Amino acid sequence: MTLTSKWVLPITIVCIISGFFLSFQLKVLANSNTTNPLSQRNTNLVVIIKDLEEEIANQEMLLEQIRNDLANLESRALPGDLEILQNGLRDARIIAGLTPVAGQGIVITIDDNNEGLKSNPQDDPNKYIVHYEHLLNLVSELKVGNAEAIAVNGQRLITTSEIRCVGNVILINTTRIAPPFVVQAIGSPKHLAEIVTNGELAIMKSTNYPITLVENDKVIIPAYRSDLQFRYARPVKGSE
Amino acid sequence: MWLLPVFGLIIGVIIGSTITFQIPLIYVKYMSVAVLASLDSVFGGIRSVLEDHFDGAVLLTGFFTNALLAALLAYLGDRLGVDLYYAAVFAFGVRIFQNLAAIRHKLILQYRNRKLRSLR
Repeated sequence: MTLTSKWVLPITIVCIISGFFLSFQLKVLANSNTTNPLSQRNTNLVVIIKDLEEEIANQEMLLEQIRNDLANLESRALPGDLEILQNGLRDARIIAGLTPVAGQGIVITIDDNNEGLKSNPQDDPNKYIVHYEHLLNLVSELKVGNAEAIAVNGQRLITTSEIRCVGNVILINTTRIAPPFVVQAIGSPKHLAEIVTNGELAIMKSTNYPITLVENDKVIIPAYRSDLQFRYARPVKGSE
Repeated sequence: MWLLPVFGLIIGVIIGSTITFQIPLIYVKYMSVAVLASLDSVFGGIRSVLEDHFDGAVLLTGFFTNALLAALLAYLGDRLGVDLYYAAVFAFGVRIFQNLAAIRHKLILQYRNRKLRSLR
């Protein structure tokens, strides 16, 4: 009996610890399979981005409201020289893109070439999606054609507006926009249509992107909604 | 007397599954080496009992030093850019199979001896 009991206790201890290790390891691995830490992190980031975008939208609404109030206040009749100043201010606002504007113009709609990609699934998808360069070229051509106001998917383009590629979406006014892209421009419809159909749109059509171009008597372009403050630039003294 | 180690194993499994403590996923790899080392000790212990050269001190020290050293070695290997982890897995794997084979041999021999004795 003493001979058998000699080994029972150590082996039991080892067994307890082994069992503990085994089940612990199994549990950790089972957990790690169900929750991939990377995807968990990604979902967290997505939630943060969505929250922030909602916050931005709210703030922009507020800003627009305040700007409207300001416009109402400014539109009251004022005595004397102030009216001239007020008109000057209004003109400056229109030039800066801080007011919605309407007028004759064109509306261009471009989308990814989904059909082309479907018929050539092995091909590089980059050949079939609309890139930011397309929009950039298109907008530049509209500017060459003296477009007075331009908006892409409701984002008014002003002097500080960027058109930038961020992964699979495009940023304009730090807002993510995705296809289909609707480019609105106010200006001479004939002139604008001519310049783009002989330029960027011709190139895009040659690679079968779905494109529509409509000349319109009344294109309404929204105001620039985001922040517009000069923190570094100051007017040079004596230049005025 | 055989029941006590089995009972111990069950207790260990229960403790391990009820505990809520989580180790970071990076260390799971080292943990798995420690698991292998402990399994190796269990089979080694059973083998030594069957071969009649069991020593409790040897078993227990072997168990802890093997598990710790294996985990440490795997960690060091990761730091050095050498996959010593696989060396530990290989070594313990081979030893576990050897121990299992020895246990099987011993059990068969014992069974046959008993049968012979009962026949006489």
